[in-house]
Amino acid sequence: MRRGITRASAATLELTAPPASRVVDDVRLRIRDRLVSDLATSIGELALGEQVEITLPLLRRAVAHPEPPAAREEPFAWKPIFVRRSLGLALVNACATGRFRSPCEGAGPVAADAVTEWRRTGWRTFHWEPWFAGLPLGARAVVLADAVGWASAVWSSFDWSGFAALPQIGGADDQWTCPALRTIRLKARSEMRVPLTTSGPAPRGDQCATRQVALVSVSGGSPADGWPDELAYLALVAGLGSPSRPVPARVMGLWPDAGLRLTVDIDESALEGAAARVSDAVKTFVGARLSVDAPC
Amino acid sequence: MAALGEAWSDPWRPLAGPALLERLRVTGRPRPKADPEFVHRIRHHLDEELSTDLAGDSSGRHHIPSETDEGSAGAEERGQAISRLPPLVVTKGRLNRVLACDAHHPDAGFGERAPTTAMACGAIVDVLFRQLVCVGAIGDPMVDGLAALAVDDRQTGLASWIERLPASDREELRAEVERQAEGLRHRWPALEGSWLPRTQESMRVQLAAGSIELSARVDLVIGRPAEDEASVAIVEVKSGARRAEHRADLHFYALVEALRSCAPPFVVATYYTRTGELDVDPVTEELLVGAASRTLIGARVLRDLADGADPRRVPDGLCGLCAVMPERGPGRAHVEGSGGQDVTR
Repeated sequence: MRRGITRASAATLELTAPPASRVVDDVRLRIRDRLVSDLATSIGELALGEQVEITLPLLRRAVAHPEPPAAREEPFAWKPIFVRRSLGLALVNACATGRFRSPCEGAGPVAADAVTEWRRTGWRTFHWEPWFAGLPLGARAVVLADAVGWASAVWSSFDWSGFAALPQIGGADDQWTCPALRTIRLKARSEMRVPLTTSGPAPRGDQCATRQVALVSVSGGSPADGWPDELAYLALVAGLGSPSRPVPARVMGLWPDAGLRLTVDIDESALEGAAARVSDAVKTFVGARLSVDAPC
Repeated sequence: MAALGEAWSDPWRPLAGPALLERLRVTGRPRPKADPEFVHRIRHHLDEELSTDLAGDSSGRHHIPSETDEGSAGAEERGQAISRLPPLVVTKGRLNRVLACDAHHPDAGFGERAPTTAMACGAIVDVLFRQLVCVGAIGDPMVDGLAALAVDDRQTGLASWIERLPASDREELRAEVERQAEGLRHRWPALEGSWLPRTQESMRVQLAAGSIELSARVDLVIGRPAEDEASVAIVEVKSGARRAEHRADLHFYALVEALRSCAPPFVVATYYTRTGELDVDPVTEELLVGAASRTLIGARVLRDLADGADPRRVPDGLCGLCAVMPERGPGRAHVEGSGGQDVTR
């Protein structure tokens, strides 16, 4: 670490550096076509109407635990860990916009505002509002504390004054649906999107649509073998899902538990690596599903 | 003599509020500089020693990527060099158990301890402490504590055990929890939000090409990540009595934090909620080197045991299981060594 440049400002500089390259549309199209072909072959044995959804956690699981799940998944029930990211992102946003000085200060008010708004309008911005509102104080504290820990790690990872424009924090997942007989949907979730500027003024409004962006992904634990493909997966899905926008220029991964920050600049080979990983994961997934369905 | 008499008549009182905070903040030693080169040397030593062990392993269980033996690897190279096999996880508890008596280590694996009232009290006080730091208030301690345990997947077994306690045991637990919660309310200082207080922070460091993972979860971390000077304080909360291994736990935390952040915490401390005592350890290079040596020894023993080696059958005064399981060989020797006295009391 160089003196005078803090770890947070180094991360911000690394994230916002001018793009190293730009993936042209021909390349994007070629990678898309090859992926469609590979996936169509892989899922040929599945019954018509079957759906496959690939996410980053599933992509990771396909390598770490390729065996089929031992038991049926439990029905969904809210837990603090499911609130951590969305409330954490709201806290980071509240700090980035100057509403609070730190996630710890903002946790109570931001959660209370969400519940108040839900009660007033019936609209669930985060979905967890009714569950959170019904929790006793002790359980609420766990939810808030988890979110504060998550948000503090993200908040302290960057020098927020170093961003030319406020990054988009959270937002909708990127999605791409493969045009095949059986539905394959790729979903990717980034924690931040940062517009990149080569020179000139910061982008505003629709200009963002034509500027390249950098994505930030936050994960628990430690990075596993193949982390570059996993980060590039986020750019692949964003690039395929929004063909009118440039492919993201880079993806930065944060592993706060391990204190690691790793970055992938997105070029043709990065996207190809991610696409190959998707093909492998779908093969694994289909194999696991067929083995579960097979008669004993 | 009068002064001495006054000193005796003025009993010790636990620190509270700003004084407690000051004791944490001002350790009497200069804060260590953030020295990535020093931390890198410790990591390199651990990597090299543990990788050398693996290279000599003929079981085929371990996989070492060849590109990782440089030691000068930066974060990216470290990230690339992760073994495909699940790592051997080294925690403070596993280190303590295996270094105290590796014969009893297999009896005390992850999450296999039978619940006790003391364990229940500790879990509840932990969540109440977390609540106090994050929300700034505790309502009915037992109600809040049980509500918190109920939403934690790792604690549902303990929560249900508490619910099934006989009324008298439950009342005893409630009394102790309320007593400790009262102490927390009165003594624990409010923390500025700008210090980024975070609770139950998970810390992981992979070594030897990802074959070993040091893992810790600390009760409280205060301070922004270090830049030029160590700026983070780590506090562990204990609801029980002071034990010899608590200092070693703190040193392990200091090591893991130093390795993951390239800067050590400036202080590690244990706060005893039962008495209000605060044990403070300023972090020094010597402390980190000592923690690294201890961790290296423990990690080797853990790995040998995982590979099927016979445990040392040596009784140890620090092993609680030797003391309470005298029917077992090491335990019998332990009791005989203490003249047949019950050393657990």
